[in-house]
Amino acid sequence: MQPFNLRPDQLAEEMLDYSRKLGKGCQNLMNAEKIDTGVTPKVEVYAEDKLRLYRYEAPADVVQNSVPTLIVYALVNRPYMTDLQENRSTVANLLAAGQDVYLIDWGYPDEADRSLTMDDYINGYMDRCVDVIRKRHKLKKINILGICQGGSFSLCYTSLHPDKVENLITMVTPVDFKTPDNMLSAWAQDIDIDMMIDTIGNVPGELLNWTFLSLKPFSLTGQKYLSMVDVLEDEDKLKNFLRMEKWIFDSPDQAGETFRQFIKDFYQNNGFLNGDVQIGGRTIDLKNITCPVLNIYAEQDHLVPPDASRALRDLTGTKDYTELSFPGGHIGIYVSGKAQKQVPPAIGKWLDERT
Amino acid sequence: MSDSTFWNEDWMKTQQKYWENWSEMSRKAMGLEKPAKSPLESAMEHWWQGVAPGTTDFNQDFMNKMMAQSKSFFRMAESYYQNAGESQSWLDAANRTINDLQQMFSGSLENLFSGAENAGDDALHKMMAFWEMPFDNWQRMVSSLSLVPGDLLRNMPHNDGMERFLSAPGLGYMREEEGQYKQLMQRAVTYQRALTEYMRFFSNLGMLSANRLREKVQQLVDDGKQIDSARGLYDLWVSSSEEVYGEQVMTPEYAQIHGKLVNALMAMKQKLSHLVDESLGGLNMPTRRELRTLQDRLQESRREYKALKAEMALLKEQMLELRKPVPEKSKSSQASTAAKKPAKKKVSKKKVATKGGKS
Repeated sequence: MQPFNLRPDQLAEEMLDYSRKLGKGCQNLMNAEKIDTGVTPKVEVYAEDKLRLYRYEAPADVVQNSVPTLIVYALVNRPYMTDLQENRSTVANLLAAGQDVYLIDWGYPDEADRSLTMDDYINGYMDRCVDVIRKRHKLKKINILGICQGGSFSLCYTSLHPDKVENLITMVTPVDFKTPDNMLSAWAQDIDIDMMIDTIGNVPGELLNWTFLSLKPFSLTGQKYLSMVDVLEDEDKLKNFLRMEKWIFDSPDQAGETFRQFIKDFYQNNGFLNGDVQIGGRTIDLKNITCPVLNIYAEQDHLVPPDASRALRDLTGTKDYTELSFPGGHIGIYVSGKAQKQVPPAIGKWLDERT
Repeated sequence: MSDSTFWNEDWMKTQQKYWENWSEMSRKAMGLEKPAKSPLESAMEHWWQGVAPGTTDFNQDFMNKMMAQSKSFFRMAESYYQNAGESQSWLDAANRTINDLQQMFSGSLENLFSGAENAGDDALHKMMAFWEMPFDNWQRMVSSLSLVPGDLLRNMPHNDGMERFLSAPGLGYMREEEGQYKQLMQRAVTYQRALTEYMRFFSNLGMLSANRLREKVQQLVDDGKQIDSARGLYDLWVSSSEEVYGEQVMTPEYAQIHGKLVNALMAMKQKLSHLVDESLGGLNMPTRRELRTLQDRLQESRREYKALKAEMALLKEQMLELRKPVPEKSKSSQASTAAKKPAKKKVSKKKVATKGGKS
């Protein structure tokens, strides 16, 4: 049998169909209104420098867990990924699962924020947000849900402040930064990070975009746009795509000193495993984490491979450790329909069983 | 928008032209003459040039990406179409198409590295957009980091003669300044060399991808499966390339090439910043170095200020706690306890006194 069954008339028809869709799609694209993101109503409860702490409004008919959950997102990209649109919102589904949800928005650091260190972020901003929530709810401890780099920050925080964390959830969080399948880590090993930060100060979002797109350049910067022709005709699908596109390229610059420490201590020296990371003059020892831990990872994660997350299993001091795997990728875990049905309800159930 | 003549007429004209092109291609493929080079691509480019000015920046960028991919897609379909018309068997057609893909990539790179006139940008821009992605992404990123467009540094001469010239010591009154500029040039040359090495790595990858595509086509034959659309062929091509790319960029060799490229860019930019600072200092203007010193000091002060503020808040809370009137009930229960157990009170006092003494 021949591997190709491409007749000339068939090819011409396919190309014509493609052009037809493209023409109609362009019309839709030009008529597309402003892309809205972050759909669940929220109120700002605390502000410091560029940081904002939000509390999401829960549906009136849902009984809320008495212990609130603070979402700590990565410094890379924007946290509205957790609340992208009505039918794709981890936040909305956590609220529906009876959780009282707070979220830290780190903002867009500029050159004046270059000297912010991991100590400033973790023992400063993050700790003050936790204190604000504890005070509002008159609680000694709250739940923390750390996502990606925010998960690594949450691990550091819980190790340093175990008395303030009731339950810890880590989502797609890198713990072992040197698993053999970690492409980002492989690339980071030969970079002279000191020279980079001394030279450019903050790390531009463009540099991060380039790095992430370079992980799968042909799919992420090519095939994706060809596939788009199929959804251009559908206004809703087009909007969904544009929302995602906006998020992907909405990359804040990274405060230079924090980036320097994060890459050196974690990507180059695998700090959680080596146990030699110092933040604010104190050593990060994951054995200090004795609260219940739920570790969620994505099975097809190309940014944080499953093994990089699963390494947490043997490192903490908790007796209550749970793992939850999701059959999807790093982004799909927040936005796919399947994830919406599985992940937030599982988090809600796990938290309710422990509070 | 939808009522404009563009949508009602121009688009249809483009479509008509498109059909004509296909008919022409069919005629030529069946007949004797060679079809014109990428007529569909030209038609699409013409159409997009008319539309682009009316779009927003965000949409334009998005559409540019889509157009680039569409052009690659069309070129690939055309390539297959021509080869199918000229070949006696599917194997021959498939091999010719794969060879075309490979040549389009490595041929452009050969031009690029041959030092021919108008090589470099021209060659790369004519190269299939598909293969240009890794470089294109890099150039965009470089442009965002420097005063000059990323493309500008791509074609700098970097031969031995240039290096010998740059390593010659400076002379006379301006020797220090001359030395600084020579260092900048040396770093630019090092960057150019690193970029060349980076691009060569991808040239090799193009050939490996073509071989992988060939293997995948053979696998289809073995499995008794067929590709029945140009899109199917394109997807197979993407997956072949992505697979090979994924394997190659995980090698220590690539990590080194990547590291060298980033480090060379940073070294060059560092020298440039230093020279800019020197010039600004000469003009009695604030420099980046001074600004950073101020930022560091300011951040240190803010850290101290925030720590003191937190300490004050804590002390204030403790004071308020101490000032709180003791509830009557508690007072009376304390009094009755004291009356009932006078001996224990004495012990307690002693303990407090001991603790107080230690502190």
